[in-house]
Amino acid sequence: MTRTAAELMLERETRVAYGTVLHSLSEEPLPESSWQLCEDQFLLRGEGDHYFHYERGHGVRIERGAGAAVTEESLWLNGSVYAAIASINGLFPIHASAVACDGKVFAFTAPAGGGKSTIVAALGAHGLPMFCDDTLVLDLSDPDRIMCLPGHKRLKLTPSALALTGVEPCEKVSATVDKLYAVPRSGEIGEALPLRELIFLEEGKEPEMLAVSGADRLMLLQDDHYTARLFLTARQFSRVDQFTHLVRLARQIGVTIFRRPLDRSRFIDGVEFTARHVTGSAERART
Amino acid sequence: MTALRKQRDRFTETSDSDEIILMRMDTGEFLSLSGTAAAIWKLIDGERDRDSLIEALEAEFAESAAGIAKDVDRLLGQLIGSGLLASE
Repeated sequence: MTRTAAELMLERETRVAYGTVLHSLSEEPLPESSWQLCEDQFLLRGEGDHYFHYERGHGVRIERGAGAAVTEESLWLNGSVYAAIASINGLFPIHASAVACDGKVFAFTAPAGGGKSTIVAALGAHGLPMFCDDTLVLDLSDPDRIMCLPGHKRLKLTPSALALTGVEPCEKVSATVDKLYAVPRSGEIGEALPLRELIFLEEGKEPEMLAVSGADRLMLLQDDHYTARLFLTARQFSRVDQFTHLVRLARQIGVTIFRRPLDRSRFIDGVEFTARHVTGSAERART
Repeated sequence: MTALRKQRDRFTETSDSDEIILMRMDTGEFLSLSGTAAAIWKLIDGERDRDSLIEALEAEFAESAAGIAKDVDRLLGQLIGSGLLASE
């Protein structure tokens, strides 16, 4: 399998070493659970004196000081640190979980707790492999298409999502997170693929897919998740740059709203509806 | 009448099929123009005034001059009010 330049860069830039690091990138001290991003450097402080420093070309260095919650370390690394590294290096991380179908990526986005991971886990029963969970990293370097980099996070599900989807649980994610790791039923995709569709999850009375266009598409693509904030900070976009960026996304990504009842007894209906939509959309893309 | 002029430093725009989308530079808000509103926006060239806009639209749309004038006045009011357009 040939890996893209972006994948190789991320692998190189996310290498980890341990030692002492700067405790602030400015003159102000960095509070717990916050970050600073300055040109090609990123500094995150977890709980206590748990610092993660990234500098382009030098990878990540972690300082485990007093009060550091080591069990949370991989969550910080795979979350904000990874998204910051992607952003500093010109990639665009978005808050989404995704499946692959016929060589294309179908990503689901929603606020935290909105069902992204659950729908991806459930679609595994329909033969759709997981592409990523929680964060989807987009490579915008090709002006003609948007490529997705394979996910770097394991699938995480709440106990209720595990019960709904019937996916086998693995170990608990951490002491503070009420989720368990799980193995996707149809496996995972490990190669970069083009993005076909971004699907926004919403609640509705009946399962329905609504195609979104024009200004509505731009509005939906204005993400306020921390990944988007990291990206905008790293790129130092002006309003015109932001608009240009959004317009490009809106032109190259199919945007759909998926409304479905949140009633657990209707869950399977929604999943089957989504599986038909995804396979139908992939088939239309092929012909 | 005075010519209508777009205040180009106050917005950026794009089009998506028949829709024109403006973003205000001061607030980042989007304004979507479609149908008659999009046609009006396209006709604003820095030389036309309100009456010549209506005249040009009459040729394009099978609608009464009064109906068109109402649409034009509503949109011009909105655009001038938001600072995206000035009459000079």
